Amino acid sequence: MPISGTAELVPLLPYAPQLANLETEALELPNVQVLQVIYETDDRNMAEHLPPALHPTIPPTMHVIGWRAEDGPLGAFTLAMVRVGCRAAVRPRGLPTRVVCTEGAAAEALRERWGFPVTVGDAVLRERYDRVSIEVNDGGASVLAAQMIDPIPIGNGDLLYTAGMHLATVEREGETKPWLVQVDAEFQVSRADRGQSRIDAFDDAFWSAANLRPNYPIVASYTTANVTLPRIRYICDPEQPAFVGTVAL
Amino acid sequence: MRFGIFYEISVPRPWEDDIEHTVYHRCLEQVRVADEVGFHSVWAVEHHFLEEYSHCSAPELFLTACAMQTKQIRVGHGIVVCVPQFNHPIRAAERAAVLDILSDGRLEFGTGRSATWTELGGMDANPDETKETWDEYTRTIPQMWTNERYGYEGRAFRMPTRAVLPKPYQKPHPPMWVAVSSPGTETDAAERGMGSLGLTFGGFAEQEQKVNAYRRRIQDCEPVGAFVNENVATVNFLYCHPDNEVGVQTGSRLTGSFAYLAALLLPVREVHPTRSYPNPGLLAASRQQAAQNPGEGASAPEGVCIGNPDRLIEEIKKWEACGVDQINFLLNALETIPQEQVLDSLRLFGEEVMPHFRDDAAPAAAERELAGAAGSGD
Repeated sequence: MPISGTAELVPLLPYAPQLANLETEALELPNVQVLQVIYETDDRNMAEHLPPALHPTIPPTMHVIGWRAEDGPLGAFTLAMVRVGCRAAVRPRGLPTRVVCTEGAAAEALRERWGFPVTVGDAVLRERYDRVSIEVNDGGASVLAAQMIDPIPIGNGDLLYTAGMHLATVEREGETKPWLVQVDAEFQVSRADRGQSRIDAFDDAFWSAANLRPNYPIVASYTTANVTLPRIRYICDPEQPAFVGTVAL
Repeated sequence: MRFGIFYEISVPRPWEDDIEHTVYHRCLEQVRVADEVGFHSVWAVEHHFLEEYSHCSAPELFLTACAMQTKQIRVGHGIVVCVPQFNHPIRAAERAAVLDILSDGRLEFGTGRSATWTELGGMDANPDETKETWDEYTRTIPQMWTNERYGYEGRAFRMPTRAVLPKPYQKPHPPMWVAVSSPGTETDAAERGMGSLGLTFGGFAEQEQKVNAYRRRIQDCEPVGAFVNENVATVNFLYCHPDNEVGVQTGSRLTGSFAYLAALLLPVREVHPTRSYPNPGLLAASRQQAAQNPGEGASAPEGVCIGNPDRLIEEIKKWEACGVDQINFLLNALETIPQEQVLDSLRLFGEEVMPHFRDDAAPAAAERELAGAAGSGD
């Protein structure tokens, strides 16, 4: 039978937020630069990064994502995120393990309204003529350095972004417990490039992803998009298979 | 209407000592029964690295075994991956010719290019280039078969003039097909005068549109081979049982398992944005179907051939009305259905469903011979 996640919830929770409710309204962030660097990862422990609700992809993957928002309702901010590629039943998804955001107000909104496992920190997204990079430093040490190299233009419709499954503690119907909150952000892309993936630094402990090892580059993309963070429509019990544990709100 | 069986060869975990041996030999037993019952063809995919979903990486060997153990049933490459990192075109032509000889001229030759990063990445192939290489293969392989010697200078490969041997037993060569998983690929098949080997599970309306587009376009085709193979085949599931409810329930386990496995793989489009793969193809269609039928529910989706003979006859009549010439059936996934039940299903289908449909050995529309179409090599 297909491989399912085997992770205990507690180790996955250190950066998981607590949501007082799930009544979030959609919010559009205009003209966000979005970098996505995709790698295959070491398969030996691929089930250990996911709760039982989710399946690893074949082969296992990780997504390094950078956002730079220069204006909009949350103000200017830069964000770096690491996700484990996965499936919720038959749906393509990504499980964020940790997010670093440069601005406290934006981080708070992302955390409290959509369940991003976000902390405030030092993230920089840089665009050069031949590459785009996302870097995160912590206490003077590089904990993430990922790049898209040698970009070539692609069609705006060629990209497919997968929804996130954000692990959060949720107060719901008188009970407080962990849920996977489905965040299927919409990306209205106005410009897109594709290039080679490269990860030069990745501290798995910092990213709350022990033994997650990027080992084979797939591809990277860089877009400008209006990103709409959605109203939350589905949550999923992290300890049951998604096809039985998903709840429509 | 003709009927085929279609193999992914799905092997469930745990992969204990003899599970692959067991599954392969169960498949061969099913093929023998299908031959006795009167199925037209057995198709086998070429897939690599697709854990549990498909352990069918050397279909030409499996199909050779099928041919050796049967008398009538045709053997279909469904499909040969036409990407140099998977198969050199000369080797593809040679192997197919040998299979055609050993099967006494029963080969159907399907072509395609893979739709997953799981496979293309594993073989270090560039997804941007597969459409081009597939196109070159479809134009050069029939030339290798029909010319005593052949030479070629192209983008995917080149070869000085050589005799590619042996030649196929069927003259001028076996019928050629194109795997159709993305919308629009049916017109690629028609442009080249090739059969449309459908690999997705669409509904009747979608299929009728595809068939109409295919029939229109093939009238003005530029055949890549020596004749036009005007045929539309679709893929479906088969579980036939005297009790409709049992048939639908059991068959739903099959469709659900298959779709669930497909969903775990990485379609090219999900991780490698490219115009070469505008749609996720088979995998997305499978997911969609699973989403409609995620558990063991007892409703059969439109057109899916699970249930009792009466229901299957009704559904197949609708496919026939859409213009479909052939349906190829998946019989199992993850060994969800015990072998004896699979065999009983095949026999019941042969006894009670097949007699309601005419098996045209040479459909009127098909295989229009084009004298002299097999020109000399470059």
